[in-house]
Amino acid sequence: MNPSHAIRSIQDNIALVIKGKAHVIEMSVVCLLARGHLLLEDVPGVGKTTLAHSLARSLDCSFKRIQFTSDLLPSDIVGVSMFNRQKQGFEFMPGPIFANVVLADEINRTTPKTQSSLLEAMSEAQISVDNQTHPLAHPFMVIATQNPVEYHGTFPLPESQLDRFLMRLRIGYPTLEEERKVLDRPYSLHPAEALEAVLSVQEVLALQACVDQVHIEESLLEYLLAIVQATRQSELLSLGVSTRGALALSKAAKALAVVRGRDYCLPDDIKELAPIVLSHRVMLNRTHGMRTQSFEQAERMVLDIIETVPVPV
Amino acid sequence: MPFEQAFALGSVLLATTAFSGLVLAQSVPLWLALPTAIILVISSLLAGGVRFVRRAMAQVTLSPTLWNVLLIGAFVILLIDLVVISRDLLQAGIHFLIVLLGIKLLTLQQRRDYRHLYAISLMAILASAALTTDAWFVPIFLLYLLAAVWTLLLYHLTQEGSESPSFDSSASAAVGHAIFPSHITHRFFWLTNGTAALTIVLTLTIFFLIPRIGAGMLQKTSGEALRTTGFSDRVDLGTIGSVKQDPQVVMRVELPDRLPGEVDRLYLRGLAYDQYNGQSWSHSGTRRRSLQIDADGTFLARPTGNRRSDDPAGTIHQDILLETLDTTVLFATPFAELVAGEFLSLQADAMSGLHLSSPPSSRVRYSVTSHVPRLVADERTASALAYPDSIRSQYLHVPAGSEHVADLAHRVSEQAFTPFGKTAAIQQHLLENYQYSLEASTATLRHPLDEFLFSRKTGYCEHYATAMVVMLRTVGIPARLVTGFLATEWNEYGGYFTVRQRDAHAWVEVYFPRSGWITMDPTPTVDTAAATNRWESIHQFGESLRLQWDRLFIRYSAKEQLAAIHEVQEGGDALWKRAIHWVSLLIAPVSQAFGRLMHVARTFQPDMLGFATGAIVVCFALLLLTLRDRISLWVTAHLPSTSRQLVIAQLYTRMVRMVERRGVSKPPSSTANEFVKLVEEGWKEAVPMVAKITAYYHQGRFSRTPLTPDELAHAAEQVGRLQSLMKKHFVRITA
Repeated sequence: MNPSHAIRSIQDNIALVIKGKAHVIEMSVVCLLARGHLLLEDVPGVGKTTLAHSLARSLDCSFKRIQFTSDLLPSDIVGVSMFNRQKQGFEFMPGPIFANVVLADEINRTTPKTQSSLLEAMSEAQISVDNQTHPLAHPFMVIATQNPVEYHGTFPLPESQLDRFLMRLRIGYPTLEEERKVLDRPYSLHPAEALEAVLSVQEVLALQACVDQVHIEESLLEYLLAIVQATRQSELLSLGVSTRGALALSKAAKALAVVRGRDYCLPDDIKELAPIVLSHRVMLNRTHGMRTQSFEQAERMVLDIIETVPVPV
Repeated sequence: MPFEQAFALGSVLLATTAFSGLVLAQSVPLWLALPTAIILVISSLLAGGVRFVRRAMAQVTLSPTLWNVLLIGAFVILLIDLVVISRDLLQAGIHFLIVLLGIKLLTLQQRRDYRHLYAISLMAILASAALTTDAWFVPIFLLYLLAAVWTLLLYHLTQEGSESPSFDSSASAAVGHAIFPSHITHRFFWLTNGTAALTIVLTLTIFFLIPRIGAGMLQKTSGEALRTTGFSDRVDLGTIGSVKQDPQVVMRVELPDRLPGEVDRLYLRGLAYDQYNGQSWSHSGTRRRSLQIDADGTFLARPTGNRRSDDPAGTIHQDILLETLDTTVLFATPFAELVAGEFLSLQADAMSGLHLSSPPSSRVRYSVTSHVPRLVADERTASALAYPDSIRSQYLHVPAGSEHVADLAHRVSEQAFTPFGKTAAIQQHLLENYQYSLEASTATLRHPLDEFLFSRKTGYCEHYATAMVVMLRTVGIPARLVTGFLATEWNEYGGYFTVRQRDAHAWVEVYFPRSGWITMDPTPTVDTAAATNRWESIHQFGESLRLQWDRLFIRYSAKEQLAAIHEVQEGGDALWKRAIHWVSLLIAPVSQAFGRLMHVARTFQPDMLGFATGAIVVCFALLLLTLRDRISLWVTAHLPSTSRQLVIAQLYTRMVRMVERRGVSKPPSSTANEFVKLVEEGWKEAVPMVAKITAYYHQGRFSRTPLTPDELAHAAEQVGRLQSLMKKHFVRITA
């Protein structure tokens, strides 16, 4: 398997469905390679679910979709133990979480209790039910979507939960040209369903192993840490980036290097990824007049902070 | 120590060495030297980071305008100085330079100020080099060189630091750490000192190997002539005493054919005097004859009236380096027969004194072969000697009123029956019965000799010698007074006699018809070498260094260079040969090429030599300049990979700086790729080069595998292209 060829093919495959948005597609692939979870946040109807769907479809692996609603229960996600009469005992019925790719649609519509049931699954790739631990599939990726506009009946994700997502992406409206292409398409079939898998599970695992081989130079690590430090010292933020965030940034940078066909990181990798990897992990300082924080605000703050950190020469 | 601090300290040290060079050249008056020294101390404390001084100085900061006003004021004073006070461009220039130095030291803020300071220091050290030929210049210059290497290196490094973005904000100074050190490490310390040592070695090599044209370059500017006494046409009794305390070195005498310690007292004869009028000595014959030169430039100075005996023990060679004196007299052990030196003509007077045609304007090096006359055995015992009439008429005259002296002479010598016996008796009498003292000034007395002999009984060499000559003459023995130097101070490090002003001496020459003029000294030996303590040996060592300095550098001429090459080729003694063998191997091709060049030059015109020399130097410099990049690449190719990483980073910074000069600057927080985009907007023509260099930079700087030498060469080539593009652009702007 040629890594760059494989990456090319999955990107092309998703691009069959998602018109334009090459950057978003690339970043979701990065997330996949970095063994991370993806949070898509945007207004309804710009293709969040479609992106998640087509990414999952492009891989030859199991895919489950959970529609999060306010009455969803944790057992609806992780599964439930049922009494089996034949065996005279409880039997665990795995929930939709037992898939390689799980699409958690509208994740902020469900209760914190249900949201937190995702926690263990996302960070440890396993779940515990009735004192029994069940390992999840490998590779395992959660793609969650959420809607920033409607606040009625939503439960904003707690910081701890947000921290578990590698990156938060926004898709944004397509350009006129791209939008016309979307409309031109025959609407007989859901396009994502039509996609064929281009990558096997083994290939995905091999690509993920490639990421671990990427070289990140000493001064780049220092650059990365300087950025993280700067978020912690910034007056604009009341909560800086955690160590998990720093780890996530370095992982994502390595994955981006692989996606771009390199076996070493560049300052550009870190600088480019920092807003999408870090902005959902920080909290804006309330004294600056913002009661709630929007994606754009946080991203702008992180960008401002990056501009204060010199790039190593 | 952080670079910035070391850099500031080094700059002040540089200025200090340059300043002390000028001070030691005695060209800075005290009123200027003192405040400058204070300023130097303050700025070194400032640079050293002494908080108290820093706080104090922060309060007295003056505005730049005021400094400019001060500067203009200094310039006006320079003009006044030039026209009214010192009336000498060099002196006034130096005063102005020192004022500038002081002002610059107090206003060191931007890097520009440091550059000015270096320029001023360079001028100061050049001025002091022009003003002196003394040996103390060596340590000053070496210190200057060391400080210069340190400071310029640190200047460069701190420059890189301040220009490369990673050093800008203190919050993330650590980012650049991995690749540029910002503190003086052990490795850096030794590397820098090694560079300085290499520079010195290279300088010396070039100094010795560059073909010389004509005489030594530095000798034209010696210091002022030393005042001497006792070597004019007339010598008043008691004048030598005034110089007997003066430790200034007059000359250095080497005895190549004598073993160390074989000679402990060396009489260096200056002039002889035959007429004494009771108060002063003078010569009767002022007629001088020019000495003949033989084929190899040696003057034949065999004295008239002296028979040459074939006694080899009486022959003594001397190599003499005479300081600049205010007299034309040349000194030598009596009596000089062959004289060779760097002068065009040489004259001898009737009493075998050697004279140059004019007082020398610089030090004179000459070698003399002398023959010391010995008393023939039968004249020692002869009861009566037949003196020629010319001798009798010239050397038996005594001033009127010498009856007391005559009585004394007869009384002293009545026991002896031979002329030699009488001479010895009179000498013995003077040696035993009179006290040597420098206190006895008799210059104002009417009868200084009577005073010495009968009442005071203390005196110094002139009194003794005068007394002996007059006493000898009263008993009918021809004698004369001789002035010169008595060398007793043997420098065991250099293997030569150091002769000082205080060694000025007067003694007696007694005539024997067959033996000639025999040197006799009635002055008791005084322990003038006051202290042979531990400082003495250090002093001697310093002295010998000075002679070597003079020989190796000041008087290093084409002749000496050829001689040195010759010596290296042939080899002196075995030890020298063994030690220098590898040097000769190195130098042989050079000297051969030099010899061939000399031959070619000789077959053309004398001017050709200078031209050829210049051409070679220029060619060599051009070659070095053009191969500079290749050499540095060759070096870097053989460096470990971490250093190659450094090289590509430096190439990249160089590129960034070039592009910045063109108006496209790189913000510290922008990455290399973002910079390429900026260049696309600002300077389209440069994009191909910048993009290629950036690609190499990325690979070499951040990847695991370092760049190959070829790739480095390509990167360097791209930088070169960018440079030529810049030049084109510059030409277009100016045209």
